[in-house]
Amino acid sequence: MNCLETARLLNPYVDGELDLSAALAIEEHIQACARCRASFEGLQAVRAAVSRECEFKTAPESLRLSLEAGIAGEGARSVVSLLRSPLAAAAPGIAALLLVGWLMLAGAPNSGRPPASGQTRVVYHISASDTAGAALRNLANHLNAAPELKAVVVAHNYGVDFLLRGARDDAGELYETAVRDLSRRGVEFRVCDNTLGRRNIAPGEVIPAATLVPSGIAEIGRLQSREGFIYLRL
Amino acid sequence: MLPHLDAAYTLAFWLTRDEDRARDAVQEAYLRALRFFGSFRGEDGRPWLLKIVRHACYEMLDRERASAADQFDEEAQGADGAATGAVLVFPLGPEAAAIARARRELVHDSLRAMPHDYREVLVLRELHGCAYKEIAAIAGIPIGTVMSRLARARRLLQAKIAGQVKREDTGT
Repeated sequence: MNCLETARLLNPYVDGELDLSAALAIEEHIQACARCRASFEGLQAVRAAVSRECEFKTAPESLRLSLEAGIAGEGARSVVSLLRSPLAAAAPGIAALLLVGWLMLAGAPNSGRPPASGQTRVVYHISASDTAGAALRNLANHLNAAPELKAVVVAHNYGVDFLLRGARDDAGELYETAVRDLSRRGVEFRVCDNTLGRRNIAPGEVIPAATLVPSGIAEIGRLQSREGFIYLRL
Repeated sequence: MLPHLDAAYTLAFWLTRDEDRARDAVQEAYLRALRFFGSFRGEDGRPWLLKIVRHACYEMLDRERASAADQFDEEAQGADGAATGAVLVFPLGPEAAAIARARRELVHDSLRAMPHDYREVLVLRELHGCAYKEIAAIAGIPIGTVMSRLARARRLLQAKIAGQVKREDTGT
């Protein structure tokens, strides 16, 4: 192995992509040649710098929740477990079936489950306190454009804040006023009880226009899989 | 619960270089993954999913016409092959924390500034630990191209880091 060949194969060598005999030949050459050894060490140093300084990131919890809620339903869970286990996915027929199942359960466009009455059913998921104001405005616009809309708002995590007594928006207006208006127009507000427990918020803090559900995420999954709601996250 | 979500988010972050865009790209990619599930042939799910993530990222970037920000400083080109490990050794001292932070920023910025063809192979190799064969499948390029791009990416990064350290050394 000469310097030229070593230089060409140094990257696959450090990446463990060479077969044993080529790897041994490189090692032998590196021992003998100071210049190639320096290249090798430089390569290792830059690799170490990247893996040390550039972290493998953790997806934000809110993204995870939103994706899980978005693909809630038995079909989706099966698809997800198939993705996880390559062996189980060997049968494309089953995969196609599950895909169809997911589309139906998730109430996606072209799904096999038409809404019972031609009515559009939408679940708005609010999980952050700073998006509540915009969500309520969107919802009012949505109702103006589609008066037959059936909308349920599920508040979860910091998204419950605007449904607490005395909560005000950026302009200093009580959220409760807007919530009551929307309630009169048929919108339902549901608050995640798990969130209240976790954040030590007494149920009495929640305004009367909203009702409690045991788990916000489970509620979203149920609305989508059982009642044909589509999912909007704000 | 969701398979490979951190891997998907990491790739999306380094391709889009932005947390919000990474988020949107991953959302889009998972929805597509479910839509395209019929094309899944039972191979390992991770490269298959990362390929969809990559596609979603580049589509998003195309839409945003973000390529103007993509110019890598090629002055380092002349230093190809000349840089060695020695210049990556940083001095220790009372300001060790500040130095470590500066070094981190330097590596981050250099990687962010790298053209995406090189950045993606480097991220998939060093952060995801993908084999060349997997990178080839994800990026849709021959294995020989993976090898040459990876070598080039490391040289660029090495030269960039070395150049910066040298400038700091002489600047004080």
